[in-house]
Amino acid sequence: MANTACFIIVGRNDIPIYEAEVGSAPKREDAAQLHQFILHAALDVVQDLAWTTSAMFLKSVDRFNDLVVSVYVTAGHILFNGIKSFFQEVHELYIKVLLNPLYLPGSRITSSHFDTKVRALARKYL
Amino acid sequence: MVEAVNSSLGKMLLEEVSPVVMVLCTPLVEETFLKNGLSFVETLKPFCNFSNIDVPVRTSGDQLYRLKKFTLRLFNASDIKQPNVEVAKQRLEHVITQAGEKVFHDLESDPPQITDILSNPESEIAPTWFQYYNKELIRTLSFSDHEAFDHPVACLLVASSKDEEPLNKFVDLFNTNRLPSLLNDGVMDPKILKHFLLVHDNQDATTERLTSKVLSEMRSTFGNNECNLLCTNSSKEGNVEHQANPWASFKSSVPAEKLGFALTGDDIGEIKDLMQEFASRHIIPYMEQKVRDLNQQISATRKGLRNQIKNLWWRKGKDDVPDSTKGSIYTFSSTESQIRILGDYAFMLHDYELALSSYRLISTDYKLDKAWKHYAGVQEMMGLAYFISDQSIKEAEYCMENAFSTYMKLGKSGFQNATRCGLWWAEMLKARDQYKEAASVYFRICGEEPLHAAVMLEQASYCFVLTKPAMLHKYGFHLVLSGDHYKICDQVNHAIRTYRSAISVYESTTWSHIKDHVYFHIGQWYAIVGMNDVAVRNMLRVLDCGNQSKSTQEIFLRDFFDIVKKTGMKHEVVGLRLPVINMSSLQVIYEDHRTYASQASALVEESIWQSLEDDIIPSLNSGKSNWLELQSKLLPKKYKESNVCVVGESVKLDLEFRNPLLISTSVTSVSLICELTANSDDLKLDKEPSSLSLETEHNQVTTSGLSSFTLSEVDFTLGGGEKKLVRLTVTPSEEGILKIVGVRWELSGSIVGVHYFQSVPTKAKTNKAKRKNKLTPTDALKFLVIKSLPRLEGSIDHLPDKLYAGDLRYLVLELKNNSESPIKNLKMKISHPRFVNPESHEEELTPGFPDCLKKGPEQNTVQRETSRTSVFAFPKDVSLQGDRSLRWPLWLRAAIPGTMSLYFTIYYEMENVSSIMKYRTLRMHYSLQVLPSLETSFEITPSPSRLQEFLVRMDIVNRANSDAFEIHQLSTVGCRWGISLLQPVDTILPSKSILPGQGLSCFFMIKDCRKPGIEEEKTTSILPSQTDTKLITQDDDEKFFDIVNSPLASFHESERSCHGTSDQLSPNTVDFILISRLAKSSNPSAEQDLLKILSHHSCHNRIRSSIPLSWSLDGPKTMYHDFSTSFCEIKLKMVIRNTSDGFLSVSINTIDGLPDAAAPTPSSGNLSGWRYVPAITEEMKLTSDVMGSRLGKPPPSMESSPPFIWSGSSSTKVQIQPLSTTEIPLQVSVFSPGTYSLSTYELVWELFEHENASSATSGTCQGYPYYITVLQSE
Repeated sequence: MANTACFIIVGRNDIPIYEAEVGSAPKREDAAQLHQFILHAALDVVQDLAWTTSAMFLKSVDRFNDLVVSVYVTAGHILFNGIKSFFQEVHELYIKVLLNPLYLPGSRITSSHFDTKVRALARKYL
Repeated sequence: MVEAVNSSLGKMLLEEVSPVVMVLCTPLVEETFLKNGLSFVETLKPFCNFSNIDVPVRTSGDQLYRLKKFTLRLFNASDIKQPNVEVAKQRLEHVITQAGEKVFHDLESDPPQITDILSNPESEIAPTWFQYYNKELIRTLSFSDHEAFDHPVACLLVASSKDEEPLNKFVDLFNTNRLPSLLNDGVMDPKILKHFLLVHDNQDATTERLTSKVLSEMRSTFGNNECNLLCTNSSKEGNVEHQANPWASFKSSVPAEKLGFALTGDDIGEIKDLMQEFASRHIIPYMEQKVRDLNQQISATRKGLRNQIKNLWWRKGKDDVPDSTKGSIYTFSSTESQIRILGDYAFMLHDYELALSSYRLISTDYKLDKAWKHYAGVQEMMGLAYFISDQSIKEAEYCMENAFSTYMKLGKSGFQNATRCGLWWAEMLKARDQYKEAASVYFRICGEEPLHAAVMLEQASYCFVLTKPAMLHKYGFHLVLSGDHYKICDQVNHAIRTYRSAISVYESTTWSHIKDHVYFHIGQWYAIVGMNDVAVRNMLRVLDCGNQSKSTQEIFLRDFFDIVKKTGMKHEVVGLRLPVINMSSLQVIYEDHRTYASQASALVEESIWQSLEDDIIPSLNSGKSNWLELQSKLLPKKYKESNVCVVGESVKLDLEFRNPLLISTSVTSVSLICELTANSDDLKLDKEPSSLSLETEHNQVTTSGLSSFTLSEVDFTLGGGEKKLVRLTVTPSEEGILKIVGVRWELSGSIVGVHYFQSVPTKAKTNKAKRKNKLTPTDALKFLVIKSLPRLEGSIDHLPDKLYAGDLRYLVLELKNNSESPIKNLKMKISHPRFVNPESHEEELTPGFPDCLKKGPEQNTVQRETSRTSVFAFPKDVSLQGDRSLRWPLWLRAAIPGTMSLYFTIYYEMENVSSIMKYRTLRMHYSLQVLPSLETSFEITPSPSRLQEFLVRMDIVNRANSDAFEIHQLSTVGCRWGISLLQPVDTILPSKSILPGQGLSCFFMIKDCRKPGIEEEKTTSILPSQTDTKLITQDDDEKFFDIVNSPLASFHESERSCHGTSDQLSPNTVDFILISRLAKSSNPSAEQDLLKILSHHSCHNRIRSSIPLSWSLDGPKTMYHDFSTSFCEIKLKMVIRNTSDGFLSVSINTIDGLPDAAAPTPSSGNLSGWRYVPAITEEMKLTSDVMGSRLGKPPPSMESSPPFIWSGSSSTKVQIQPLSTTEIPLQVSVFSPGTYSLSTYELVWELFEHENASSATSGTCQGYPYYITVLQSE
């Protein structure tokens, strides 16, 4: 079955710092915005949940029709929306990005290397 | 938390779950009431709500309680039926459309702020029409067959006094044929309370007596209590106006003041009394009685263990009955229905305990019967009963959930019920402040129908706002979903309304797709409803959609321009994001006293110019006694704070435009927005003592307008993602204050983008900051326009941009002043005097270049003025005016390879212009790329044989990439050194040119032409020609280049000063100039290149020597002597020269006889392998290897030579001053004729840094071979 997924890293103040449409389904024009809407709406739930649990991985916090939102909250309260091992790997990547002295935390991640890695991970796990 | 009864659900239940009264009336009755614009039912409706009826009620228990609030629902008999689905749908749609029309006018306003939404009281968050809609929605389900609270409790039969035989009419009215089908087919109990009402119209005065007669007849027929008389329309004129019209809220289609105009206050009072009496005297007691009866009956059959078991048994038996859910298996008389009626009646009478127990009883029955719909209905009522009696919240929710899911299981047929159940459930949750759950309930009852879904989603969204903390993300999302649904069913107004609210959530987010989606759609929809300007305003936000795909961008733009065209006018948009303006790229180039020759020179950092101009610009602070006074006279305060520009001279502004889209966009008519105001007002305010020139300005009051300045317009096309730097100019044509406010441009001819440059309120800028020309927004964009001034234009003709190091060029600096007023006092400063050298006088070169450099026939050896200042002042008489141009020759020599920036600044003063600007500077900037060419190095070693002569080795390497060079001439600088070639270069270099990468060594001899010993005396005895040597002869009569008079000399001076200024012109150094040219064959295409001359300067070449002294032994070479008489004494003279800077002490040790072979000379060349290395101490022994080996191998002739002895002192010690010479007399005694080598001496020297220094370096030098032949004289 062709699946579709949208992966967004959200920084403080709900600012998306990285976005990727992953998955094998053929692209639909409106998919991107729908996904954004759903993920954006899920932030409310995440904000509630994030402080009540110590777990980083929050499984299906929200859903809209057949789209399920899973979240991985890092210690610095940067959210990864999108599945567990995938999240963990991306988290590692993200930390690498953070270690880059030229990367300003909270700004958009533009590294092409990061992008290709994330997409590779998505193919592997999703 | 609100008390359950007072919550909105409580109120709703009081209204909706209340006794139904069926009204049957004759047409004449309707007619009577229609006079008021109301039907009979409508007339009575406002009076069916009793807020304080205060009726004692006793139901099942013995306890009496008082009913406070009570409501009756009146329905015409014809309305008592299940509403048609389609009709109901249309009605709902109508409700929404109406509401949409109402909001239409609000849509134009700006979207609400999120903080406003949050600060609103709860009741104002959701539009009020939702409640109405929900009510209507619930009403679509009235008179359903599985519920009993819609069953009529009583029947009101109404006849008019005008009716013929009213008694018969009453009978006719309750004719079963005319009753609603529901009552006839057994769903509802037809045996209900009947009440008879006779209506008398007071406007028909004639029938009054008849009426009382009919009433008495009625009373006798139907019973005294059951009959009433209602007199209405007492107002004869029919013009009663009611202050608070009770019908207004029920019927909105007719203007409120028209309603009930024939009813007087008395009439209304009568109706009120009638209804109150009807409710309290008839309905409530009737219901009470019925509840008691039913309760008794049910207790007998169903309560108690026995009955329960019996019931269970009986139900088991009915299991096989199929389709128990379909059709009405329960008639009103069935036990189940009776229980349900009991429950509903009890509910209506607010006896929730009894209602609950009945519902509980019946729900298990229905469950066993698998009558799901009935079951769900009962569960629903249970939930409500739990809620309203403030009992267990959990139970209530559980029941609602149960009811809801059961309805949902029924599929489509149950959905409407589920919706109603959901609405109630949501209300229940809201009353308990569980907004989040309420929202999810709303979400669940969305269903398939878009309009319905839209309303439900919108309600859900409002719940999210009400949650604590507010879930704004969800709020926005649901609003957007709702808006989409509204749009599907063409409720554009509502769609816009929801999106507008959603914008408040998304406004500040950076989620680009969301933002684009919202703004784009709301823009489109505004266009649909015709609010094009609002549409454009919203669409503008989408234009910066760089992250969208190309096709999306195209759609966005196309729609945007379509809408713009629809508006049919040019829209001026402030802050248009297409194209994006990069404000950090903003650069203003203007000319005040600083003028620029070219674009490139304007971009050079100000500090470079300033350091260059430091010594040519008159300092304001110097000279006069009081600098404060001086400055204020020169520049009024106002002027100091703003930039200055000159009328007729354009101010240029560079700005970068970036296309954020992937599709190319053409931008047209880009120009600046400027304001030019006459500065007279400002100056008056200043009250500064202004100079004369300003006084005249006062009189010329200029008004701001287009004519006072001219703007440039630029059109360009930006490809996808392209950036372009655009130059915009404004040229003021009047004096005043010019402000550059912003920039404007047009997109496809219909949208005018305007970008205002940030205007930060002017802070007190220090003068310093301003001088540095830091582009702070206000400072940089505000200009004081002053009177037209002469402006010098300058250029250098034919300045090459690429040349070889050493290249010497003749250039002309052309200066031009286009204005009529002359300029004077021209001065020029060049950043690299090493590179450029102005000629001292203005004249064309007569012989042409490069011949002018050559030595003329007359030897003109006038020394050039060598005292060079960095500022070149043009002669005083140079003054420029009008069209005359000044051509001033310049010499350019590429001194060192690399990329060079040459800066020229020309200072000039204006004549006859009394202005605040006394002088101006012209700045020119050129950059040169200098390629490496020949590289020379010289090594000078003293000649071993002659004191005044030195050997020079010149190494040349061609570092150029492609070109070959011919070396032409090598000259020494100054008059001291004569140079001669040791070996013709032609023999080493037959090709005559040095190819790229080729190296070459040549040897020369230079000779110190000064008289020895007289150091200070200037020697001019040497002919200048001796200082030059031709390396490769092209033709014999080619002249030498003149290195004394030509610019070469001045270049050499600057080279000298560049190289080792620490060297205090040590006389022991030699400067060489090598002149070369490009080889002819290297580049045949460029003939003029042949004229190029390259000069290579090598300065301060020291004479290299390992020992600080040189000496020579002078004496006769051959002597005749009569040995028979005596031995021969030969006088010799040793000249020792101290070549070092230190003090030298030399002792000469002479050694008689042959040196011993075993002499401890460590420098023997025969030894191999192990070698003694002396420790490097202060007393370092320096020995010459050459001498040592010679000593080890004396010439064979010496072996046979008879010895000679050094006579005189065997050791002489002398002190020699730095760089001076001493002569020491020596004497040798020879005993027999022969040839002798007089090398058997050594010089032991010690060198001190200065006279009294203790530390010294020392060494020993072996003597040079000096052969002397002594012959026997005849």
